[in-house]
Amino acid sequence: MEMNFNQHISGQFNADLEAIRNHMMGMGGLVERQVANAIEAICSGDTRVADDVIRREDEVDKMEVTIDHECTQILVRRQPAASDLRMVLAVSRVVRDLERIGDEASKIAIHTLEVADNSSNQLCQQAMRYMGAEVVKMISGALDAFARHDVDGAIDVVRNDKLVDQQYASALRELITYMMEDPRSIGQAINILWILRAIERIGDHARNISEQVIYLVKGTDVRHSSLTEIEEQAHKE
Amino acid sequence: MTNTSLSTREKVEKSMVRRRAAEKRFRAYGMASVLFGLLCLVGLFGDIINKGASAFTQTVIRTEILIDADYLGINKKAEDQEIRNADFEGLIKQHFKNIVQPEGRTERRLLYSMISAGAAWQLQEAVLLNPALLGQKVTVNLIADDDVDQWFKHDRGTDSHNNRMNETQVKWLEQWIEQDMLQTQFNTLFFVNGDSREPELAGIRGAITGTFLTLLVTFLLSFPIGVAAAIYLEEFAPRNKITEFVEININNLAAVPSITFGLLGLAIFINIFGVARSTPLVGGLVLTLMTLPTIIISGRAAIKAVPPSIREAAYGLGASKMQVVFHHVLPLALPGMLTGTIIGMAQALGETAPLLMIGMVAFVVDVPGFVNDPSTVLPVQIFLWSDSPERAFMERTSGAIMVLLGFLVTMNTAAVMLRRRLERRW
Amino acid sequence: MSIIENHKTNGAAFCENPKLKARNVGVFYGEKQAIFDVSLDIGANEVIALIGPSGCGKSTFLRCLNRMNDTIDICHVSGEILLDGENIYDTKVDVVPLRARVGMVFQKPNPFPKSIYDNIAYGPRIHGLAHSRVDLDEIVEKSLQRAGLWNEVKDRLHSPGTGLSGGQQQRLCIARTIAVDPEVILMDEPCSALDPIATAKIEELIDELRENYTIAIVTHSMQQAARVSQRTAYFHLGQLIEVNPTDQVFTTPEHTLTEAYITGRFG
Repeated sequence: MEMNFNQHISGQFNADLEAIRNHMMGMGGLVERQVANAIEAICSGDTRVADDVIRREDEVDKMEVTIDHECTQILVRRQPAASDLRMVLAVSRVVRDLERIGDEASKIAIHTLEVADNSSNQLCQQAMRYMGAEVVKMISGALDAFARHDVDGAIDVVRNDKLVDQQYASALRELITYMMEDPRSIGQAINILWILRAIERIGDHARNISEQVIYLVKGTDVRHSSLTEIEEQAHKE
Repeated sequence: MTNTSLSTREKVEKSMVRRRAAEKRFRAYGMASVLFGLLCLVGLFGDIINKGASAFTQTVIRTEILIDADYLGINKKAEDQEIRNADFEGLIKQHFKNIVQPEGRTERRLLYSMISAGAAWQLQEAVLLNPALLGQKVTVNLIADDDVDQWFKHDRGTDSHNNRMNETQVKWLEQWIEQDMLQTQFNTLFFVNGDSREPELAGIRGAITGTFLTLLVTFLLSFPIGVAAAIYLEEFAPRNKITEFVEININNLAAVPSITFGLLGLAIFINIFGVARSTPLVGGLVLTLMTLPTIIISGRAAIKAVPPSIREAAYGLGASKMQVVFHHVLPLALPGMLTGTIIGMAQALGETAPLLMIGMVAFVVDVPGFVNDPSTVLPVQIFLWSDSPERAFMERTSGAIMVLLGFLVTMNTAAVMLRRRLERRW
Repeated sequence: MSIIENHKTNGAAFCENPKLKARNVGVFYGEKQAIFDVSLDIGANEVIALIGPSGCGKSTFLRCLNRMNDTIDICHVSGEILLDGENIYDTKVDVVPLRARVGMVFQKPNPFPKSIYDNIAYGPRIHGLAHSRVDLDEIVEKSLQRAGLWNEVKDRLHSPGTGLSGGQQQRLCIARTIAVDPEVILMDEPCSALDPIATAKIEELIDELRENYTIAIVTHSMQQAARVSQRTAYFHLGQLIEVNPTDQVFTTPEHTLTEAYITGRFG
């Protein structure tokens, strides 16, 4: 008997699993671009880019439904176990997080349009740009880790989420300072607040995706655990 | 791949023609061989029945005879022994002399030869049974001699060269026929008499009783021994060289010519153990030897056919080996074993050769009472009769064959019915 | 494929409160070794599933547990199997009462060609468990009730057991096993010949029986193992590769071979 544990006896099963993974990666790529574009839109104030992001949100939603359906099909037809089961569950969860990220990206785009009307210099430009770049990196890092079954890469993403949270807290303090200085800027500031909040949420979702990588590889569910706990689980043999 | 222009479908269609033809041909061969077999069987049976059917009727001379107490010299109070000693033969001769009025000694002798020696016994038996007949005129059906019997049944009106009646006798016979004296009736004697030198008196009762006793001995010995051997070999015997040797030899034994068993019986049972020869006992012993391999082999096959799942189920519940065998295996194997036994017995029933060796070919008149009385068996009786010169024995041979075949068919039917009955398919 | 060298059973082969303890069990068919050094505990009142590809020795191992292998001449068992601390392969141990204590249900439903009643009554009869006809009636009724068959057959106890449907026959066989009041029930692929509904009924029954009996079940259906057992043991080429709680085996097996088998990468 040829011992090749990478291949199932059923070639179709292999193909099905490969398909959901690829589709998830494709959706991840789209979502990552959406986020990058949304960030680009606020930073440059380019409403066409923002419009584009809002329009493509539909595509993300459809992808979620499709991939979820494919996962259901695999569950029904193959009754996967062990790593296959974890793969299907992880893909299903990751897809949900990706869809949420897509939502957040379109929220950013909507607020961008509102902010763009107000031509005054934007608040927290620096923070938004920085945090935005960070979360885009996180998304691609999480997806890479998923593709490579890379636990360490996933932990890096979790670690980065902490940084984003800290930046979010300091940006918030900055905004409060602005609002106290100039009550007229409150309207603007709230929009910015929403945008910052959305970016921070995207970071959280990227973290969730990384947690699924750890579930996929190690079989332990590390949702709602602290970073040290996650590290502990990830390096347990 | 000679013709690539044809599609697969067309090729299949083409080959179908050939295949169908082959199938038809094969079916025709089969039908032909079955038909041939059936024809042979019909021919054989037809011949036997044609020849043997007349064995079941017998010619009698119906006449009114005065049982003359004075001639016989006995009275109504006579002892049985006196009646037995009385000259009934003379009385009958006297009676017919009066009827036919033969001239001279030659004609008288011719006349007397037409009446069977059995006629006197017939009359004697009647008087023994009812002494009141003495001195009365009674109408009796006296058995005719076998030559008369043959003439009346077969040769009358033909100029067959088999005819042993001369002109004078034929004249008398024609007279009797006119007077309605010659009649045929069912041949009871054939079934109630033992063997005899006189064909018209010869019967198969002795042979049938002998056969029955022989088969009884065979069954009583071979069934328990055969079944026990089959169970032991199949269930208990250790798998080693000795068991293997025994198994091979049992299989060989089934193929040994049956006359060899006769020699064995002669050498061992009669010469060494001193069992009386010509008896159903020794016949049964020899046939047991012959039947045993059949029973053991079919018994083992029946045991092997018991599904292992039943055994496992019983073992799984904690049944011991004995319990498994006797509660489960044996009841399921029994129908198969019985069928094998009955087939073996049917074989034994038809067996002649080994019995010739142990003296069962002797001429035995008396019907055997028990297994140690000298006797013969049906197939040997058939063999004996077929060798006799008298023409009347020929039809008796065929008659006996019909009886034997009847027994075989009955036994085989019994085997099938028993099997159906006992076989529990649930 | 070579035997994995230096193998050591992964996971938790031993448990607290074991009913049966197998220690370094090896099984030989003549020269050929079918089981290699298997040590495994089967806990009281637990259902343990033995899984593995065909010819991995799971059935052979199961049959060691009530010495069913004794019926095969060339089969030889080494090591120890302790039932309540007593080695069942000890020369002092009589196999007949042992099989009454460790009952067995087979792959193919195999009722005796007798009536339903006689099927159940056979075990109690040969072991002398009933003192009167009334006793026997009670045992039969109780066993059938336990096996969930009473309501279906109570009106035809004296009709043939082989007249029942496959699933009913298998439950009849389980009832027959229960009738001798065993402590352990071994099941060798009890549902492989049954349809899904009959299978579900048997699985339900196994779940109920767990209260009173210790059950070891060999199955080819991994879903079934996942459904009915608390612990799962994975056999591979005569070796015990992994023993773990069932939910763990089916989500995160420890050994690559287990993983490969249960995910359908060979077998």
